[in-house]
Amino acid sequence: MRTKFSGILTLFLAFVVQITFAQEKTISGTVTDDKGLPLPGVNVVVRNTANGTQTDFDGNYTIMANRGAVLSFSYVGFETKDSAVQDSDVINVQLVASAAELEEVVIQAFGAKSRTLTTTAISSVAASDVKDLVPSTGIDNMLQGKAAGVQVTAANGRPGQTAYIQIRGIGSLSADTSPLYIVDGIPMDDDNIPNINPNDIENFSILKDAASSALYGSRAANGVVLITTKQGKTGQAKIIFRSSIGSAKRIKDPFDLMNASQKLELERQYAALGVTAAARLPGATASEEERARLISYDTDWEEELLRNSYIQSNSLSISGGSEKFNYFLSLGYDKNSGIIDRIKGYERISTRLNTSYQAKDWLRIGANVAVSRFTDDRPRDRNNVQNPFRGVYDYNPYDPLYSRDDQGNIVLDGFGNPVISPTNTGFPIARAITTEPDTATNLLTLGNLSADITLSENFSNSFKVGVSNRRFNRYQASLGGGVLQQFVGSRKFPGTQRNTQTIDLEFNISNILSYQQTFGDAHNFGASFLVEYFQRTLTSLIAGSRGFPSPDINYQIVAAEPTQADTDREQNAIFGQALLVDYDYDSKYILSGSIRRDGSTRFGPKEKYGYFYSGSAAWNLAKENFLSDSFFNDLKLRVSYGTAGNDNIDEFLYLNLLSFNRTYNGESTALPTIIANPDIKWESQSQLNIGLEFGLWNNRITGAFDYYIKKSDDLLLPRPISATVGGLPAVRDDTDPENIIVSNVGEIENRGFEFGINADIIRNENLKWTVGGTMSIIDNEVKKLVGGQDITSTRTILREGEEINSFFLVRYAGVDPNNGKPLFLDLDGNVTDTYSASNAVLLKGKSPQANLEGGFYTTINYKGFGLRTDFVYKSGNYILNNQRSSTLSPNGINRNQSVDAFNYWKKPGDTGVLPSPLFGATSNQRSDRFLQKGDYIRLRNVTLSYDFPETVLKMLPISGMRIYAQGQNLWTITKYEGDPEIGLGSAETSQPGDDGFVAGAFSQFSYPQVKSYTVGLDIEF
Amino acid sequence: MKKYLIILITLFFVTSCNDEIEDLKPFSQGDPSTFFNSVRTFQLGVDGALQQMRLYYEDAGSGLQGIPDILSDNVIISRSGRLSNRDYYEYTYNPNTLGPVSLYFYKAYNSIRTANTVIKQIDNLPAGEDRDNILGQALAIRAYAHFDLARIYAKIPTQSDDANGSLGVAYIKAEDGDTEDELAKPKRETVAANYTEIIEDLEKALTLVGVDNGLERFNKNSINGILSRVYLYNGDYQKAIDAADKVTTKIIKGDKLDDLYTDVTQDGIVFTLAINSATETRNNNVGVLYNQSNDDGVRSEYVIDHEFYNSIPDTDPRKAAMRFVGKWEGNDYNAVKKFLGEAGENNGRVDIKVLRAAEVILNKAEAQYELGKTTEALATLDLLRAERNGGAGAGGETGAALEDAIQFNRRIELAFEGHRFFDIKRRGEDLNRSNKGDLIDGTGTPPVAQTVSAGNFRFQLPIPISERNVNPDFNQNPGY
Repeated sequence: MRTKFSGILTLFLAFVVQITFAQEKTISGTVTDDKGLPLPGVNVVVRNTANGTQTDFDGNYTIMANRGAVLSFSYVGFETKDSAVQDSDVINVQLVASAAELEEVVIQAFGAKSRTLTTTAISSVAASDVKDLVPSTGIDNMLQGKAAGVQVTAANGRPGQTAYIQIRGIGSLSADTSPLYIVDGIPMDDDNIPNINPNDIENFSILKDAASSALYGSRAANGVVLITTKQGKTGQAKIIFRSSIGSAKRIKDPFDLMNASQKLELERQYAALGVTAAARLPGATASEEERARLISYDTDWEEELLRNSYIQSNSLSISGGSEKFNYFLSLGYDKNSGIIDRIKGYERISTRLNTSYQAKDWLRIGANVAVSRFTDDRPRDRNNVQNPFRGVYDYNPYDPLYSRDDQGNIVLDGFGNPVISPTNTGFPIARAITTEPDTATNLLTLGNLSADITLSENFSNSFKVGVSNRRFNRYQASLGGGVLQQFVGSRKFPGTQRNTQTIDLEFNISNILSYQQTFGDAHNFGASFLVEYFQRTLTSLIAGSRGFPSPDINYQIVAAEPTQADTDREQNAIFGQALLVDYDYDSKYILSGSIRRDGSTRFGPKEKYGYFYSGSAAWNLAKENFLSDSFFNDLKLRVSYGTAGNDNIDEFLYLNLLSFNRTYNGESTALPTIIANPDIKWESQSQLNIGLEFGLWNNRITGAFDYYIKKSDDLLLPRPISATVGGLPAVRDDTDPENIIVSNVGEIENRGFEFGINADIIRNENLKWTVGGTMSIIDNEVKKLVGGQDITSTRTILREGEEINSFFLVRYAGVDPNNGKPLFLDLDGNVTDTYSASNAVLLKGKSPQANLEGGFYTTINYKGFGLRTDFVYKSGNYILNNQRSSTLSPNGINRNQSVDAFNYWKKPGDTGVLPSPLFGATSNQRSDRFLQKGDYIRLRNVTLSYDFPETVLKMLPISGMRIYAQGQNLWTITKYEGDPEIGLGSAETSQPGDDGFVAGAFSQFSYPQVKSYTVGLDIEF
Repeated sequence: MKKYLIILITLFFVTSCNDEIEDLKPFSQGDPSTFFNSVRTFQLGVDGALQQMRLYYEDAGSGLQGIPDILSDNVIISRSGRLSNRDYYEYTYNPNTLGPVSLYFYKAYNSIRTANTVIKQIDNLPAGEDRDNILGQALAIRAYAHFDLARIYAKIPTQSDDANGSLGVAYIKAEDGDTEDELAKPKRETVAANYTEIIEDLEKALTLVGVDNGLERFNKNSINGILSRVYLYNGDYQKAIDAADKVTTKIIKGDKLDDLYTDVTQDGIVFTLAINSATETRNNNVGVLYNQSNDDGVRSEYVIDHEFYNSIPDTDPRKAAMRFVGKWEGNDYNAVKKFLGEAGENNGRVDIKVLRAAEVILNKAEAQYELGKTTEALATLDLLRAERNGGAGAGGETGAALEDAIQFNRRIELAFEGHRFFDIKRRGEDLNRSNKGDLIDGTGTPPVAQTVSAGNFRFQLPIPISERNVNPDFNQNPGY
C-alpha cells in the first residue's frame, strides 16, 4: 500500500514540477464548429505529452508548446484535428462534425452506454446542469425539477438534513421509499449521502423503469440513483478553487403573529367572554400601569430565538492525467450555521482522491478514496416547548427575553448576567438550547478499488470492491443546573450525558464477466454474468453517566456514576447473481434482457431467494432511410418491462425473539419483541414503460416522453394489529403504543406520464438562450389489501380503490352563525355540533402526494454574463396544517396567536368568522379544518454570473475566473398558510421508520425552509 | 493464463459469500422456545411483564399512579402549570386523545403478552415448587393487568345494576389458544366474565406462588391483598374480608409516612413496582404528573383541592405527609408531596406503591360495613386510625357516618396514589369538585367540570381509536 501511495505521490509531484518549470511558448486560439460557432470544452493536447487544456466558453484556449510540437484538438461528436506549432502564436481551428453523430453517453447499471443504444428510461443530470445550484450543502435537493419523474420533498430546513427522494411515486408503503444510491458502482446507504461534496460529482443518472434498475434486483424497487464522481482528464493539471459566502433566513408566513398590545387585548376579550383559560392571563388581570410595562417589552421572538444564518463554502480541486494515469483530488469545506441562534449548526470537511492507472495493456486499475466529516446540532424537533421554532409561535410578545422585575429592570444573576425569562411556558428555550446540547458527528471513510481486465477481443472482466465505514457519534447532555436538569435531574447527581457511537461498515464486492461479439456486419451481441455480495454491519456503543462536577466538562470520565452502558450489533447481507444479454442490429433495432437471483438475510428460509427479470426493446427511427433527410437527428421509440424487489425492512422479522434490553428494578428482563411473520417475503414490483426520445434541428431541441404503469405487489408494511395481541415496540425506551406485524399487505399501482425538454432558442457567437423543463403527472391507487381491510394510521388511510395514504379525518362544516359553535359532519353527512373522532371519513382524492410536479429553467448567456433561473412546482397534494391551527386555537390563549384570531364569532348572524372561543375544546380537534392544498411554484434559484474574458485573464496568472451572486427560494406562489415545502412535520412525532409515517402529511414546527443569498467566486489555474 | 487465474480466484471468492446469507443469526436477542429453560431465565420473563406494567404506572405524562386522582376531586389543575392532562381533568377526552387512553390499553396488553409467553413455555421446567412459583407469578400479573384494563375501560360490577352485563375487555389466555393468531381480532366479553377470569387466575396463582419473592414481585401475601381489592370491586364482601385477613403486612406508623414516600422505608407496602433509581434514570419521573421543581420554585400541574386539604384534621399525620407549599411565579400552592423523589431528590422518581396494608384494612372495613357488620367495620377502621393519631372522623360512628368515615379515611390515606377515581366509580357516586380555586387560599381559577354525575359515560375511558381502526368489532363504549 505504501509503495502505491508513494508512487501516486511521485507522479503527482512530477506534474507540479512540469507546471512550474516548463518554458515553452504560449499558443492561443479559438476553436469553432463547422458553422463558425465557438466550441467550448474542446480537449487541446500537445501530442505525446501530458500537456493539455480545454477551450473555455468562448472556444478560446491557451497552451504552452515547443515549436514543432503537434497540437491535437478533440471533441465528442467531431473529427479530431491535428495542427503543428509553427512561428505563429495563434492557431485557430475549425472542427468538422464526425460521421458518427454527437454521441451522448449514458451512465447505466454496471457501465456506460451510448444514448442511442439504451432501451430504458434513464434521466441524466450532469454536473454542469446543477453547477449553479452547487452551494446548497446537499446533493439531493439539487435534483428537484431536474429530472422528470424524480420527486424531491425537502424534509425540513435543517442544514445537513437529507430530502425525501421518490422516483415515480410511492413504490413501497414501508417507511423508507428512498431510492438505492450507487456511488461509482458501489451501493451506499442514504445516510452517507450528506457526506458527499457536491463539487465532486460529475453526473447523476436516475434509473426509473424496472428494466434499467432490474440489474440491482432486490433493492431497486424504489428506483436507482447512480452518482459518478469526477475523474481527471488527460492533459495539464487543472486547479479549480471555488468559494462562496451567504446568509439565509426563515421564509415568512403569510400571516402575522400578534404584538404585545394585540395579544393583551385578545386575552381581555376572551376573559370577558368567560373563557376560563384567559381569566388569569395579564390581558385580563393587569393594571393599567403593568399593561403599559408589558406592551413596552413587545418582544419579536423570531428575532430573539432565530438569526440570519452564515453559509460558507470553499473547495479546491486538482485534476489531470496522462495517457496511462489520471487523478482527481479535491478538498472541501462547508459551513452553515443554521437559523437557530446560540448553536453552531452544520460543518463539513471533505476530501477525495480518484485515480486510475493502466497498469498493463490488459489491466486498468482504479482507486477512489474519500474521507469526509460533518458535524451538526440536533435541536429537539418536537411539538413542545423544547423546540425553538415552536417558541417563536408560542411565546407571548409581552414576555421579555430577559426576566424583568416589577419596575421593568432586567434581573441579573449572581454573576451579573441577565437571567433568561422562563416565559409563559416555564421553559426558556433560549437558555435550554445551550444547556441541553445535542450534536452529532459523521465521519465517512470510503474506498473503492476496481480492476478492469481485457481478456481477449471478446471477453473482458470487471472487478470492484467497495468499503465504506461511517462512524456516527452523538453527544447528548443535560447540563447540571440547566433548564431540564432542574426539573427532572437528580440533586445528588447534577447533569447527565450520553454518548452514542454507531459504526456502519458496508462492504460490497462484485465481478462481471462480459462477452461482446459482432456477427456479420451489423449483428452486435453482448452478454454479461454478474456476481455480487453486499454486507452491512452496524455496531453500536452507548455510554451514559450522571453527576458532573462542572457543566463545562463534557467527558464522562469526570462523572460520578454510570447510568447506561450498551453495545449491540446488527447485520444483513445480500448475495446476487445475474445474467444480462443485449443485441442490436446496426444500432437500429435493440433488444436487451436480464435475470437476477438475490438472497437476503432478512427473509426466512422459505422465502430467502427472489428472482427479478427484465426485457426491453428500442427502435431508432432516425436511422431509418425514410427519416434520413428530415429535421430529426434522433427519434427513438422504446418499450420495457421488468421486475425489481425491496427488502427494506428490519432484521429477523421472520423470527419470534426475546429482547433483554430493558430492566426491572435494576435487573435484566426477557421481553418478547415485535410479532414475527415467518411467511414474510420480498416485495416485488413490475413496471411497463413506453418512451419516445427525440432530437430536432441539429439537436437544438431534445426531449423525451415516458408513460409507465408501475405495480407494486406483496408490499411490505408494518401492519397495525389489535393491541390485545400485545406487540412491543422494538425501540428501547419507546413508550409510544405501537402494535404492528410487518407483512406483505397488498398491491398498489402508480401510473404516470413524464416529459422533459431542453431547447436552445438562440445560439450564436455572443448570445445563448436555453430553456427547459420537466413535468411528471402521477396517479396512484391502492389495488388490493389483505382481506380487503383498510389500514388506518393517525391521519391517513389505505383503502382499496382509493389514492394511497388518503387523508382520513372528521369533516369540518364551518361555524354556526346562530351561536358560534364549530360544526362537523357525521358519517352520513349530517351537520352536528359535537365532535366525535369516529366521524372520520376518507377524503377522496386528498392525500399528501402531489399528482403534478416538476421544474423549469431558463439560462441566458451573453458575452460572459449568465443568468440562470430555476423554478420548481408541485400541485395536487394536501397538508394538515397543525402549525396554523395552533395560532388560531382558543384553548391555547396562554400562547401567542395569529392576528386573525380577532375575527371570531361575536353575535348571531356573523359569517366568515372563526368559531367562538368558548368552544375551544372542539374547534381545533383534528379535522379537515386545517387541511390545506400544498400547491406551489417556487423560484428555487436565481444565479447571475460573469465569466471574465480572455483579455482580462491574460493579465492574470489564471486561466478562468467566474463571479456570481445567487438567491434561493426568493419567491413563492402558494395558497398554503405557511411554507408548503414540508417533508417532516415534527420529527419526534412521526418520522421515517415510525409506523404510519407519510412524508409531507402535516406541519408542526419542524425546522423551516430558508431563503438564502450567496455570492461566490470560481478561479481556475 | 495469469488473467484467467485471477478471474477464477475472484469468482470463487465472491461465490463463497453465499454461506453468509444462510447462516446469519441474531446477535443480541434470544429464541423464546429455547431461552426459557431454567428458573432464572423464566424469572427474567416474569420481570419483563412487571416492567411493562411499571411503564404504565410510572409514565411521567400519563401514569396510572396519578391519573385516577387527576380524574377526581382530590386535585385541581394549576393554571400556571403546563396544563398537561387537561382533557382528562376536564372530562373532554375522546378516542383520539393522546396519553392515558392509549397508554394503558397498549401497555397492559403488552404485560399480558409477556406473562402469556412465560405461561406457554412453562412445561420447559420440571414440575415442582419452582415451576409453580413462576407460573403463579405469571398468572397473577396477567390477572392484575386485565383487572386494570377492566376497571379503566369498562364498568365495575358494583358501579351500577347493569354493570355485569355490560362490555368488559378481552381476556387473553395462552391456555385457551388466544395467543396463537397474531391477526386475531378478539371481541369484548362481559364485565362479569372478566371478573370471573381475573379471580380464577388470582385464586390459582395463590395456590402456586411462593412466599418470599420480595415486595416488588407477586407472592402469597400480595396476591391476597390484590384479591381483597378485586373481591371488593366485585361485591364479594365476605371473600374480601377473608383475603384481607390473610395479609400479614403491618400498617405503616404515622410518623414514618415521610420515609415511605421517599423510599427510605418499605413499611406497610404489600406490592410495589420498584425502580432502581441509580440505573433506571430515564423517562420515569412519575412525580412529574403532579409537579416539577427547579431553582425558581415548584411548577405544579395539579395541586391539592383547597376544601379537601382543609377538611383533614391538623392532627392527622397524613395531612403533613401529602402536602408542601409550592411557590411558583409569586403564588403559593398546596403542592403534592408524595412523589417528589427519593430522600434528597426532587426529580419525581420513586417506587410505584401499588398496594399498601392500609388499603387492605380499608377494603376489609368497607366489606364489613357492606355486609352490615358495623361493629367489626368500626373496629377495623380504628386499627388504621390508631396509627394515624385518630385520623379523621368523630370516632365511634355508626350508620352512614361510619360509611362516610371509612370512605373519608380511605380518601386521605390513599390520596394521589391512583385510587380516588376508581373508588367514586365503583361506588356509583357522583364526582363533586369544590368550587375553590387552585391557589393556596382557595382563590384562583375554579374547576371547569365541577360535577360529573354517576351515570356519565366518561367514567369508562374510550377504547383508543387505533384499536377500533384495526379491530372494529372491539365495540366502543357508549357515548363516544
